[in-house]
Amino acid sequence: MKKIAVTGGKGGVGKSTMAVLLSNEEVRKGKKVILCDCDIECPNDYLLLNQKLENEKDKVYFEFPKLIKSKCQKCGLCAKTCRNNAIFQAPGKYPIFLKELCSACGACQAVCPYGAIVPEKEEVAKLFLNKVKENYFLVTGLVRTGIEEGGPVVTKTKKFALELAEKIKADFIFFDTAPGIHCSVISALKDCDKAICVAEPSPMSRIDLKLIMELCKKMEIPTEIILNQADLSDSSGIEKLASSFNSEIIKRVNYSSKLVEAYSKGKLLDFKI
Amino acid sequence: MPKNLYKIAIASGKGGVGKSMLTSVFSVFFSKTKKIVAVDCDADAPNLHIWLNEVNGWEKEIPVSTSFKPEIDINKCDGCGICVEKCKFGALKMKNGKAEVDNLLCEGCGACEVLCPRKAIKMYPVQNGEIKIKKTKWGFPLVSSHLYPGETGSGKVVSEAKKEAEKINSEIMIIDSAPGTGCPVTASLKDVNFNVLITEPTLSGFADLKRVLEVVNYFGSDWGLIINKWDINTEITEKIKKFSKDKFLGKISYDKKIFESVSKLIPISETNLKAKEEIKEIFNKVYGKTS
Repeated sequence: MKKIAVTGGKGGVGKSTMAVLLSNEEVRKGKKVILCDCDIECPNDYLLLNQKLENEKDKVYFEFPKLIKSKCQKCGLCAKTCRNNAIFQAPGKYPIFLKELCSACGACQAVCPYGAIVPEKEEVAKLFLNKVKENYFLVTGLVRTGIEEGGPVVTKTKKFALELAEKIKADFIFFDTAPGIHCSVISALKDCDKAICVAEPSPMSRIDLKLIMELCKKMEIPTEIILNQADLSDSSGIEKLASSFNSEIIKRVNYSSKLVEAYSKGKLLDFKI
Repeated sequence: MPKNLYKIAIASGKGGVGKSMLTSVFSVFFSKTKKIVAVDCDADAPNLHIWLNEVNGWEKEIPVSTSFKPEIDINKCDGCGICVEKCKFGALKMKNGKAEVDNLLCEGCGACEVLCPRKAIKMYPVQNGEIKIKKTKWGFPLVSSHLYPGETGSGKVVSEAKKEAEKINSEIMIIDSAPGTGCPVTASLKDVNFNVLITEPTLSGFADLKRVLEVVNYFGSDWGLIINKWDINTEITEKIKKFSKDKFLGKISYDKKIFESVSKLIPISETNLKAKEEIKEIFNKVYGKTS
């Protein structure tokens, strides 16, 4: 089984489009494919494939801190320990936990000498499964908005997809990542055999591509590039960047109003480049 | 924080729908009559300086160390495995009977440090990004947040960039947010007076708009909506317009020349493109809110 990440750094360059089109292509060749949407903040693959997120298969829980006031001595150690600035404590008052900054790491619970902080399980994400068609599955992770830490949600989404892949003996699993280079992208790239970086011939895409290629290099993941909207501008900048990272452009996709239309309406399943 | 500072954030949920393009044009327009500072809060992929053709270096580069990593003293570590078991990010594992950290997965929370019964773990600060500042050719300052590849804490780098921008005496702060709804977005949209949301008429653009609205509503600040490339799907444009009701600010037409222009590093504010005129109209509405 091949584990391939589809990423790119910049938003809106066509990561999801290419992840879907690559998956379609392998299914057409008779392969068993799982597409795993790891852009948990804004997952869109289900929309591009005209699916609905109805078949919930699992949930992800975080253990947020909860204060037991009767035990708290207001010592302030929890607020001092929290490296996310998620605990606010005015002098002589009880600490207040700010959930939007909390990564649910558990450090405050561990450090409290009085056992006044207990974990409280809370659902932060849902995992969905769609059978797009025979031999074609879509796994989607959807996190609640305002959750500080996406990495563990992506890891759980991938684990679900990998177990399914094992069960159905999938040939390919494509991980569609979020834009950027932060923790949820790192978690999505982790342990992949290669990363396909989607880019477009713009100076923005070029600097963002460089950042994601540097990240892949650090993670020792080989990269390949798909150049989207390849005919809209000069692509020599991307080509130079590719060769400086020992990578190559494996596909050029020209601008197509038909593709834009199919994308906008969620009709990519039957679309052929 | 300066008293009369009005903060406007540009956000979208979906990436690549025109946040930085819009921010660049808004900044130039605002700078004609107001003292402004523009802040690129997309620390993962900062692009605002390119839209402004401010690509030849920075005046000031301030290192940011808002991340920490554990250092394990293997002489003290007795391999009890508590840190490995309790790490919520899967960043620790046992190797040859000792704990070992994977820095790429580590969030730097320090739970392992407080949990270790042998006191074998010490957290040390790591430089995870930088804030870059320069005066643009229009005279207003640009503050840009940069996260290093492989480091964590983009939200904290964003907060630092906003703090730096607040030190500059200005009337208006224009914030270019990251895509998504996660920590850099929360940090961008916190404490703003007005959110300019921008999207495109695709199913994804619409769905992601609703997601970022949840963050906006969490903070309770006012917002307005722009539909970019409105003519690539007029049907969805109508749906989004209906959805946004009186929050609708205007629309921008699709034009391949925007892409051509930025590829040649020509800022959209310096062109005669239709989009510039459309943005001018929208700008007038937003300007009215600030005075």
